[in-house]
Amino acid sequence: MKRVIARLDIKLNRLIKGIHLEGWRFLGDPKPFFMDYYENGIDEIVYIDSISSLYNRDSMKELVSETTRNVFVPITVGGGIRSVGQAHEMLRSGADKVAINTGAIKNPELITEVAKNFGSQCMVISIQAKRVAPNKWEAYIDTGRESSGKDVIEWVREAVDRGAGEIFLTSVDMDGTTKGMDLALIEAVSKEVDVPVIASGGFGKPMDFVDACKYADAVAIAKQLHYKKATIQEIKKLALQNNINVRFEE
Amino acid sequence: MATATKTLHGLPENVIFCKKCLISNQRPSTQREFKKSDTIIDTVGFGDDGICDTCKWFEYKNTQISWDAREKELQELCDRFRRNDGRYDVIVPASGGKDSIYVAHLLKNKYNMNPLTVTWAPHMYTDIGWTNFNHMIEAGLDNIKVTPNGKIHRLLTRLAFENLVNPFQPFIIGQKNVAPRAALQYDVPLIMYGENQAEAHNHFSENLSPLMDISHFSTKTATEDMYFGGVHVNDLKKNYGVTDNDLYLYKPLLEDEIRAKNVEVHFFSYYVNWSPQENYYYVKENTGFESNPDGRSEGTYTKFASLDDKIDGQHYYTMYIKFGQGRAMNDANRDIRDGFITREEAVDLMNKYDGEFPKKYFQEVLDYMGITEERYWEVIDKSRSPHLWDKVDGEWKLKHPTK
Repeated sequence: MKRVIARLDIKLNRLIKGIHLEGWRFLGDPKPFFMDYYENGIDEIVYIDSISSLYNRDSMKELVSETTRNVFVPITVGGGIRSVGQAHEMLRSGADKVAINTGAIKNPELITEVAKNFGSQCMVISIQAKRVAPNKWEAYIDTGRESSGKDVIEWVREAVDRGAGEIFLTSVDMDGTTKGMDLALIEAVSKEVDVPVIASGGFGKPMDFVDACKYADAVAIAKQLHYKKATIQEIKKLALQNNINVRFEE
Repeated sequence: MATATKTLHGLPENVIFCKKCLISNQRPSTQREFKKSDTIIDTVGFGDDGICDTCKWFEYKNTQISWDAREKELQELCDRFRRNDGRYDVIVPASGGKDSIYVAHLLKNKYNMNPLTVTWAPHMYTDIGWTNFNHMIEAGLDNIKVTPNGKIHRLLTRLAFENLVNPFQPFIIGQKNVAPRAALQYDVPLIMYGENQAEAHNHFSENLSPLMDISHFSTKTATEDMYFGGVHVNDLKKNYGVTDNDLYLYKPLLEDEIRAKNVEVHFFSYYVNWSPQENYYYVKENTGFESNPDGRSEGTYTKFASLDDKIDGQHYYTMYIKFGQGRAMNDANRDIRDGFITREEAVDLMNKYDGEFPKKYFQEVLDYMGITEERYWEVIDKSRSPHLWDKVDGEWKLKHPTK
């Protein structure tokens, strides 16, 4: 079963959407957005507090609990998580999984600890991949702002070995462009590890979902949902026509 | 008032930070560059309520201006200057960065103008700067680029660094003249700049007019006292073998010539609600503009601004040394006033990034100026005002951390 996931980038409890993870244009209160996605059959929601890791803040708890009171699909929360304690707080607020990027790159042991304490199914490794050569990507931190020097494929391998149960894979190059997804990246990561891969960055049209699902287990969509340029229903219909198994109710 | 013994650069001795943004009363306001013979500056205005002029301006701007009315004014301006005979009708000074591409592209595509973009070349193009410069042309915008010869530009850059601790000055000077000169050459009486400098750090009243004062790029006579790199023209000729022709691109134009051709210099930020963040979205959606491929720029958290010149980082770093406020402060203040971040967030960003040394192109900048690293630090350390800096265990520390 493949999943359609809504990605909501959050800053100060407001929905934003950048391009290449840059730019803080406000789109509004996230609530009408997540309610709409839930009512239209979204499979999961991912919140990324998009600049918290820049200056060590966490402010997502309220939004997460409000969402879980209204929405009954799995919720993943990422952005600025640097300790087991913070991960615990997010889970206690109602998140089903935590996504960690900067905190894990700076301290890979955090992956092991979170997986050990709460289970691998909770521990999503978030990757911000930037293409540096054909078929070569580097992992970025601090919302696509800082190079970590780590090769994406090697880092994914290590993260999974340490207990990460899922991969949230963002292409910095394609994020916000709606020009299609980095299929080579999705393929390379999916072939390296056995855990589910959520592909993010560049979704422009329903066919992009079909293409990405050749390798990925799920696609996270932001801009085209927020701007109402694509609907969850049409994506899923096209998936079914292409023999991709999705959860679908008219 | 400051006294020479307690502070440098004419800075006020008592450091205060704006209550709304992070700007301090140590920041300079825009002055005529070709009149500077030393590092003494005028600083930004502050009210007794502890709020800087810029924030007061933004409060006014966000509540008192009807942008619909302003757009009508822009339409009228364009109607007054638009030509349908094949000639250009507006000069847009343009680096190929997000802001200038935005202005030129919008004038051409929304307001049916026929812009000529005019570029004053950076000291040393970065790869991304050169790429974006070409994206601008590819986006359907004609361009002429004016490049000073490397010998004079390097000399003035070194002198500006050594005398004014501002290696960016030769760029600023030439940039002010290049569009008006093109306006005369191509007989195009309208020039459209992007943001009025006053929006960032000048006196309130300057924002109320759409026009740039021509004194920034012209003088009454050609024989007025002028300084480039802090050195008087006569001394440049006498001591450095500089010729009048070498200085042609740096010298301001003559007022009479400007007036005879009725050249008007306008700011786009008077007519539209100017926002660097929104300009970024516009050029990403409408042109091939690319953000910094390395991630954020050194000294700040943004990756879309001030990307084209390898010396940019030094421009902001020398500001940080002289005034205690650098590149992250610049970006953060803008984002506070535009409502993208809170003051508390900005403090965190400042503490994380402001004053980070721009090491990426450091050696190239030294080579460009023809000075050693030792000399570089000598100039830098000499320009640290004692009321701003302390040396603690061999390390320079700001006495007034932003909070």
